[in-house]
Amino acid sequence: MKAFADYNPISVFFCIMGVASVGMFCMDPLLLGLSLIGALALFLARNGRAGMKECLWYPLLFLITAIGNPLFNHKGVTVLFVLNDNPVTLESVYYGLAMGCMLVGTLLWFRSFSQIMTSDRLLYLFGAASPKLALILSMTMRYIPLFRAQAEKTNRSQKALGLYKEDNIPDRLKGGLRVFSVLVTWALENGVTTADSMTARGYGIGKRSQFAIFRFRRSDAVLLLLSLAFTALTFTGMGLGKVGFEFFPAVTPVKATPFGVLVYISYGALSLLPAILEISEALRWKSLQSAI
Amino acid sequence: MIFVIKNEKLRRFLKFVLPWIAIPAVVALGVFAFGEKRYAFISVCVVILATVLFCAGFEKRTVGTRRLIVIAVMTALSVVGRFVFAPIPGFKPITAIVVITAVYLGGESGFMVGALSAVISNFYFGQGPWTPFQMFAWGMIGYIAGLLQNPLKKSRVALGIYGVFAGAAFSCIMDVWTVLWYDNAFHWELYLSAIVTALPFMVSYAISNVVFLLLLGRPFGEKLERIKIKYGV
Repeated sequence: MKAFADYNPISVFFCIMGVASVGMFCMDPLLLGLSLIGALALFLARNGRAGMKECLWYPLLFLITAIGNPLFNHKGVTVLFVLNDNPVTLESVYYGLAMGCMLVGTLLWFRSFSQIMTSDRLLYLFGAASPKLALILSMTMRYIPLFRAQAEKTNRSQKALGLYKEDNIPDRLKGGLRVFSVLVTWALENGVTTADSMTARGYGIGKRSQFAIFRFRRSDAVLLLLSLAFTALTFTGMGLGKVGFEFFPAVTPVKATPFGVLVYISYGALSLLPAILEISEALRWKSLQSAI
Repeated sequence: MIFVIKNEKLRRFLKFVLPWIAIPAVVALGVFAFGEKRYAFISVCVVILATVLFCAGFEKRTVGTRRLIVIAVMTALSVVGRFVFAPIPGFKPITAIVVITAVYLGGESGFMVGALSAVISNFYFGQGPWTPFQMFAWGMIGYIAGLLQNPLKKSRVALGIYGVFAGAAFSCIMDVWTVLWYDNAFHWELYLSAIVTALPFMVSYAISNVVFLLLLGRPFGEKLERIKIKYGV
């Protein structure tokens, strides 16, 4: 057992993308709820109390979406009341609630995705597909702090020379442009020198290989297979119409066919899996620490 | 167990198959599975497909070391530009740098700089379902600028007009995504209202693009030309 974030990036990628792609595009309230719960559990498990504070604005977003939809969407047969000659329907209220779940769930999944997929993990993913692209990406990632430091140096020396102040917008723009122009010249020359050095050391002669610190172990394969299988099962269920939901014109009851239930269970398992892995690892860590 | 496919033939086969068969298959699956939400799903797939195909083409071609580095440098500059100009709200030089790269180094380099800038700047500003759309939008802005290389290089007016066009195009492409995601199908009224709400952003994009292109275009171009002559990129 290890924490969800410590699995091989390939498995993590397919797991989160599988859950999020269903939670992003399907309109079945049960699936959306499961996706939201899984996303929230993972985010809180990873961020604890600090995460709770960050979550404060999500209910607001949820409310805005849930209230906003019935005001603009007048489809549906059950009219609750009439506002400015426009009917507000029960169906559109339900639809707004589902939209809110979807929006918040998706944002939370991608929040956790950005946190887990640090640049080295993303580079590993890119590198598996395209070594050349991965090389450009990793060089760019290195250049950014380098250029920022260089820009700061240039900025200080130019200001010390009295070439501009920073108290009004045209002056700030002028200063920014000056620094930027100096930076560009320096960066291009520096880059060409790097390129020459690479050529001198034999870049481009052999095939490009890639260093990766991530191993693909049996547990990673299990997570990958589980994610793919559960995602495929959910997609099949949606395609065959075993799960799914119509809001308009009238709300349909949730179908409870055996296959549909299987789909709900498997999607729920997939959605909660990251949080379960994360929490069980945290508990194990605590118990090991208390045993010392 | 390490995740590397040793067989060279199998690898080449996969590289060919993945973009041409797998992604259309995903599109078909989306149509089959998502009924009413299929437009949003398909649009994401098409955008990813286009970007992947472009990158695959780039991977296959032999690109000189120097050109490779210049692409990395320009991408890094466009991301750093966001920090340098951070004191002035709404001013981002990414589009301008993408266009300038495309004009002086060709459309393909422009596409790569645009797409990579989107991925990398989102490391700092947050990845999300919008990342593929930003990659596609900035990439295409670069690619089209590469096609219009000659008029854009010669006339500053054309460069300014292209800046306005690029600002509007970026905003419009991103709104397609907003509308599709929010309301299943594509409704013109909703799209128009989304564009109207996004109008201030669109105007600020367009203005900053024009300012940056006019201010940076010549000097930047001269620098790139100088590098080209001095080192033969």
